[in-house]
Amino acid sequence: MITFDEATKKPLPTPDTDSAAFWSGLKEGKLLLQHCLDCGNVQYYQQGMCRRCGGERLEHRAASGRGKVHSYSVVYRAPGPAFKRDVPYAVLLVELEEGPRMISSLVGAKPESVTFDMPVQLVCEKASEEITLPRFRPA
Amino acid sequence: MKHKDTLRGKVAVIGAGLSPVGRVPGRSPLWLAADAARKALAEAGIDKRAVDGVLSSHAFAAPFHRFSIAFSEYFGIQPTFSNTLQVSGATAATLFAVGAAAVAGGLAETVLVVGGDSLLTGLSPDLALRSMTESRDQQYEMPFGIPVSNTFAMTAHRHMKEFGTTPEQFAEVAVVHRRHAMRTPGAQMTAPITVQDVLGSGMVTSPYHKLDCSLISDGAAAFVITSAERARSLGARKPVYILGAGECYTHEHIFLMPSLTTTGAAVSSRNAYAMSGYGARDMDVAGIYDCFTGTVIMMVEDLGFCPKGEGGRFVADGQITYGGAIPANTHGGLLSFAHSGMPGALFHFHEVIRQLRGECGERQVTGAKLGLVHSLGAGFATNATCILGTEDTL
Ligand SMILES: [Zn+2]
Repeated sequence: MITFDEATKKPLPTPDTDSAAFWSGLKEGKLLLQHCLDCGNVQYYQQGMCRRCGGERLEHRAASGRGKVHSYSVVYRAPGPAFKRDVPYAVLLVELEEGPRMISSLVGAKPESVTFDMPVQLVCEKASEEITLPRFRPA
Repeated sequence: MKHKDTLRGKVAVIGAGLSPVGRVPGRSPLWLAADAARKALAEAGIDKRAVDGVLSSHAFAAPFHRFSIAFSEYFGIQPTFSNTLQVSGATAATLFAVGAAAVAGGLAETVLVVGGDSLLTGLSPDLALRSMTESRDQQYEMPFGIPVSNTFAMTAHRHMKEFGTTPEQFAEVAVVHRRHAMRTPGAQMTAPITVQDVLGSGMVTSPYHKLDCSLISDGAAAFVITSAERARSLGARKPVYILGAGECYTHEHIFLMPSLTTTGAAVSSRNAYAMSGYGARDMDVAGIYDCFTGTVIMMVEDLGFCPKGEGGRFVADGQITYGGAIPANTHGGLLSFAHSGMPGALFHFHEVIRQLRGECGERQVTGAKLGLVHSLGAGFATNATCILGTEDTL
């Protein structure tokens, strides 16, 4: 069962064995990407093996935090009560300078101001004692 | 084609049934599914005791871990082959493909394909909340407030950027579907709409307005499939044959979709066409998953009905309706007929099968012999295509 009170709280991630390093990196202001030492693949998100070659020699390196908006959608009707107060807000599909793409959302500007290929910069936003979310502002 | 010995033409649909659809209060997903099933069996002229296989989709409003098993108990049968498939919106076409493979491979002789749900009137407040908060990944997507509609919206948005597709072209898809639904008995939405109505219906998640989005409905559909030989020995009236099937799964998270504008439908349809021995230009009628208007525009490209990037113009030129290159969703689709979740694309199957049997009355596409149904889901993560044909096409 999920209660209405629970549903009004924003869903925060529960780090797992694959992702613990990623979420602790964000607490220190770093967006960690995995670099495969066997094949050179750079991957987001964190997992126990390389998606390209299956290798397990993966090194966490902080991303530059620079990227551009590959696509976006401004949400006017919230997905559940937790996001009702935030609408309208811009969900971003950010393409990082290092290659991988990720989902995030815009801070520091009007949602309607987002454009395709707009340069954006990482903002680490504390959401709770355990969780800091990677969000982006116009660069 | 990957394999020479395929299921092409080995399995036939010999009965189809629909429950009431749209707003159907007081009826559970299991009742809706059973109602559709008894109609499909009646049409096939066989007793429920002749069913030895059951394949179903899940039901959100009846969250059994094993819907197909719960259905069989409710319906009073004890099949010797059964499963509940789950690849989101693509499930419908996989039910036909897996059902056909089971029959061709001897796992079952007569399979009931069934799906029912009551998303409009059957969701408890608890389930409604879960449906909103649990649809995307909890770590990398949901914290940013991304509903599944948003994943589809981002693909359509990028399509606008890359190919100049316009909101008016998206809106035209909704207008065509509504016009189709107006001629379909029992359709949920039958009031005519214009492009201006769509553009003025309020933004949900850009570039999609309310009327660019599919409905929320109750309803079920069911089908009886069996071997081509058995269809003949039963004297089945106008069996519809499964000629080809293909699937493709490209990602789970939307940010790992290889391209936002070319989807796994290009691969699933290519494989289905290859198995059938026919191509896009041979199709007389289509059922194309229309969870959003832009989805249809992207699909007419990936399914091979027009070149990449020209879907918007194709739709605006009247190519997805009567007299066009590929009349699609002649029942009104998820946008105007009904969309009860996983069973939604089973309504596309129902319509294409009726078209191939020449039973669509004023909706009939004259002389339709070959049809395609494409179902997809989860931000294009899942894609499945089926090619169907009449006896003449074997
Ligand atoms: Zn590697």
